[in-house]
This record gives sequence, C-alpha cells and structure tokens, in this order.
Amino acid sequence: MIKGWTGKRLRIDLSLKKARSEEIPPADLRQWFGGRGLNASFFSQHFQSPVSPDLPENPIAFAVGPLTGTLAPCSGWTSIASFSPLSAPPVYDFTRMPGHFGAALKAAGFDQCIIQGKAERPVYLWIDDGEVKFEKADHLWGKETTGTTVTLQEEKGDRSIEVLCIGPAGEGQLPFANVIHRLSWTGDRLGLGYLFGVKQLKAIAIRGKKPVALQYPKQFLDLCLALRDQIHQGQKMRKLKAEGALSLLGQEERRNTRNGNRWLPPGSERQWATSLWTNLSGSEGCSSCPVHCSRSVQDREKSLAGIHLEKAWYLGPQIGVYSGEGTLKLHRFCQAQGLDPFLTASLLGRMLEEVETGNLSEEDIRQIDEIENQGEKVLALLGRIVSGGKKEFHLSTPPASDNEDLDILADIVSFCMIVVNRLNLMTVSNIIDLINGATGYALTIKDLQDTISNIRQMESRLQNKKLHWNDQSTLLHVGKGQISQILNKEERDHVSISHPTVS
Amino acid sequence: MSAISIIPERCTGCQSCEMVCSLSHEGSCSSSLSRIRAKKWEEISVFMPTVCQHCEKPPCMEICPTGARRRVPGTNAMVTEEKRCVGCKSCIYACPYGAPAIHPATKRTMTCDLCKGSPLCTQVCTAGALSYNPEGDPSMERKRAFGQTLFNSMKTR
Repeated sequence: MIKGWTGKRLRIDLSLKKARSEEIPPADLRQWFGGRGLNASFFSQHFQSPVSPDLPENPIAFAVGPLTGTLAPCSGWTSIASFSPLSAPPVYDFTRMPGHFGAALKAAGFDQCIIQGKAERPVYLWIDDGEVKFEKADHLWGKETTGTTVTLQEEKGDRSIEVLCIGPAGEGQLPFANVIHRLSWTGDRLGLGYLFGVKQLKAIAIRGKKPVALQYPKQFLDLCLALRDQIHQGQKMRKLKAEGALSLLGQEERRNTRNGNRWLPPGSERQWATSLWTNLSGSEGCSSCPVHCSRSVQDREKSLAGIHLEKAWYLGPQIGVYSGEGTLKLHRFCQAQGLDPFLTASLLGRMLEEVETGNLSEEDIRQIDEIENQGEKVLALLGRIVSGGKKEFHLSTPPASDNEDLDILADIVSFCMIVVNRLNLMTVSNIIDLINGATGYALTIKDLQDTISNIRQMESRLQNKKLHWNDQSTLLHVGKGQISQILNKEERDHVSISHPTVS
Repeated sequence: MSAISIIPERCTGCQSCEMVCSLSHEGSCSSSLSRIRAKKWEEISVFMPTVCQHCEKPPCMEICPTGARRRVPGTNAMVTEEKRCVGCKSCIYACPYGAPAIHPATKRTMTCDLCKGSPLCTQVCTAGALSYNPEGDPSMERKRAFGQTLFNSMKTR
C-alpha cells in the first residue's frame, strides 16, 4: 500500500454533475511528489495550448503533497493552478494557499482535485470523506463569505467542516476576486474568484476523516518533533512570531513605497503599524504550523477572523492609507466580498491616481455616485477601472523569489514557502528525510534537482516562456541538516524503525 | 490530580496537537484518531482544544454500564478499558467537556492517557495553549483553591 500519498485524483465535471476518483500512478507521484508538480504535469498532459478561462474545459486544479495533513511542520499549503483570467491572452498560472484546505482534501482521500465544466445553476461541492455531492447553492448566491461559511457548516451540523468559498465579487466575475477559507486564508493572484464565478461554483465544503498512513511513524514523529524545535527556537522565528508577516516585508518593498508613493508622509509607517496593532488580538495558524504568523482582528470586543500582515501592508501604506483602522476596514471589505487584497490594493492605487489626474471622467463619477450601497459603489468603481483599461493595466507582481528552486521544492511538498525559502529554517535534507519517513521513498538531492528542473521546463512550456536555464542549481549550495545526523544516530540505535508506537 | 490545562485564547487552531496525538497513538495522522480536538468557530476566531480533564469525580466512570472507565495508577489518567467497553457512548454524553470520542476502527471510546506522564500535545503547542500540570503541581492547588472559593460564594448566594 502506498504511504504518505493517497494515490487518488478527484475529477469533477460540473456540467454533467459527475465526480470520479482516478488512480495516480505511483511513478508519477515519485516523479512529481505533489502540489505544483502534479498540477503542472496534469496540464502538460492534457493541454497543448491555453484555453480561455471562460470555457467549461478550463480546469481548476488543487493539489497537495506527501506531507500534507501530517505532523510535518508548516505542511499546510495547497497548490492551485489554472489558466488565469488576469492576463490576455490567458496563460497557465499557479498560486499557493496556506491554511487547512489541503489537509482536509487529503483527509477526504485525495492528492489532487480537478474541477472542470460549468454548472447551469449555482452549486456547491460537498466532499464528505471521499463521497462527492453537488448541492444547490441558490440560497448562498449573493451571500458574503462569512455567511456562506457559517451557513454551510450549520446546514451540515458540523463546525469542523472546511469551507472554501467565493463572495459577491467572485459571483460578479471580477478578475481580481479570490477564494477564501476559514475566512483568513486566500488563494491570491490567480483570479480564482472569477474562475469559480464562471463555473457557478459557490463553495467547496470538505470533511475528511481518513488517516494519512506513514511508512516509518516512529522515525517521522521524532523527526517532526526535532524540526519543530529547530524552527521554533530560531532567532528569525521570534521576530516572525512577534511582528507577524510584517517582519517579512523586504527593504525593497518598503523603499518602493517611500519613493513611488506621494501619499505617505515620513514617519507614518510606524504610526500605521501602531494603530493597526491595537486592533489585533491572538494568532491563527495553518495546519501543523509552529509559527502562527496570522493575527485575529479585534473589532469592538469581537474577534473577526484572521489577517495576514503582508496583506495589511498592501492595503495600508502601499496605497497611502496610514491609519490602522482604515486598513482593517479595507481588509474586512475584501474578506467579506472575496476580493484579492494584493490586486485590489494595486487597483485602488491606480484609481486614486486616476481621480487625482482627472482621468476618471465626471460622467463616471456621477454614475458611480448614484449607487447607494457602499459595497456596490466600490465594486462599480473597481469594475469601471478594470473595464476601462484591463489590457494595459499592470497588476502588482509578487516580489521576486531569492531562490526559485527552493520555492518549487516547497510547493511540490506543499510546505510553507516563507519557512523554507525566505527564512531558510528547514534544509533540503530535512525535507528529504521527512519524505522518506512518510513515504519510504529514499530520494537524493539529484532526484530532487531533476524533478525541479523538469517542473521548470513544463511550466515554461505551458507559459510559453523561453526557459531561462540556470545550469548551477541553487539546491546544491544547501548543506545537510543536523536533523539528518540525529536520524542516522537514531537509526543506529533502533534496529526496527518501522515499528509503530502503540499506546 | 494530573491534567492538561488549556488557555483557549492562545489556541490558533493549527491542529498540531491532534496530529501528534494520533501519530504517537495510532501511527498515522488524522483528526479522527486523536484524543484531543481543536474545535473551531472561525468567524469569531475562537479555537478551543478539548481533551479529557481526568476529573476527580468523573461522570464517565459513574455512568459507564460495564465499568470500562478506570484510572491508571501513577499518572491518574482516566482511560477506557477496551475489552470492557461496548461503545454505548454514555461517557460521551455524560462528559461535561465532550472529551471522549469513538475510535473509527474499534468503535470503542478513546480518551487522553497523558502519554504515560509526558503529553506530546503540550510539547508541540508552540502557541502556549496547552500545558501539563502533573500531580502535586502547586499551580493546580492554587486553581483548586480558587475554584472552591468561587463555588462556595455561589452556593451561599
């Protein structure tokens, strides 16, 4: 029996309302591991050229890795891929989403989920421990994300269900709408809200109870405990714990804001951070995460789901909002409507510019002014900007990665990119050891390098990019971790490492 | 009295406790195999770990028709004797915390056994929501005294 992976792919056709489970060949799993690799391989096999995001056959692919849903630290991420509506002509694009959705998908018994087709009426998917139902979502259509999540959970009578849903922005097919789950974690910069909206798919609700089987449970447990300590005790980690994701914003992003943003008076950054901080309380964490970098928002004695401080930055100083309350209001709006905070922020920045330079005509402003509902007004204004100049409009791009190979490595095992790449709290050999403990597959750095370069090639082909071939793979420079040594010692001490601990 | 004390405000809902519990007891990772559960109400950011409190006067022991609930000498943990348990779920209904759960495979109830005196969930909880108070821990005595005072004052009113 295959360990670590589930070896199953869930294929969903919304047009025919049919779902089937497909075997993923073990050779494929060993070659692509999961996450971004599985998605890229699926798209390369099935699509010679990009399809329009509006067409039913455009798939939305979710995939997780062999370590998702286990104790492996920071293993809560999900890779998502599709042909994105954010670029014209459409192009293959992918994103990663933190949280608990991937773990729930795995517990329901799937490594990958591919959604194709287009429903006639609004539907939501109810995946209950491997069984899929297509349920009517007319009563949810138009609801904000909070209402949708809570209604779905109460209908099923189980608050442990994980719900991934879109808000009114996605239903209205705004290209910069996103999906949200646990009202905190979002899949951004892919136009997922638009894709769900086109398919009339309001939400995916998952309840998973299947255990993730491991090859060497005792070894895996020891390794996870040692790694959690290693991550938790690091100096960088203390900063991340104290300041949240705000501490991750690089010098470059801050400098850009100062130079390129005329709305930001000097010294206001600190003022903004302080006023934001007074409205935050408690933390939230992804599945099996020892870091907990997300914060809960406190609004008049009541907590209102989570905020990631990187997003707060984009909805704050980046667009000249330097009051914490203002940022939180914007964030709350994005969260409820299902808007991508990064893209919304860059649109808002552009909008403010247009108003200042007088490019937005008086006619536009009058029309928008007549709308009473504030939410509709903002959406109309954003819609006007999008329809006015989508093609020449440059959406903000994520900051370039220091080490693309490590990013891919994090994505194929569905690990936290921040911990693996930006903070380097886990070494490549740590990840190799974890994969070995979970799946029993003893791979080498060379195998990983091959996989990663293959994924790069596949993605470049899918994106019609000319491959920028970097012969000296960056993975080579990452040393062997101390965890390996601990493990080697343990293996010597215990003859049988595959003996499961029984209470 | 030994117990795992919980500070719910600190819980972040990461479910590491569930994973380590099921991994160490069952050798695989699943919330449904865990003796501890992190319940969630995400719209108000409330997460609440639920685990057996090993009560001094355990309602589960009183209600159990087969006498399957017993205390382990040493750790003082309340556990289910699998051979005696018939899976009637009485203990689940009697428990004020809703701590016992049905094991998906054996269909018997399962509760926290304090990992023979060093609970792993308290070790992995980096948020600080879970901590272990072994028998004779002074902080437990303080809590008990406070609880007793509160109880007495409520009784006299």
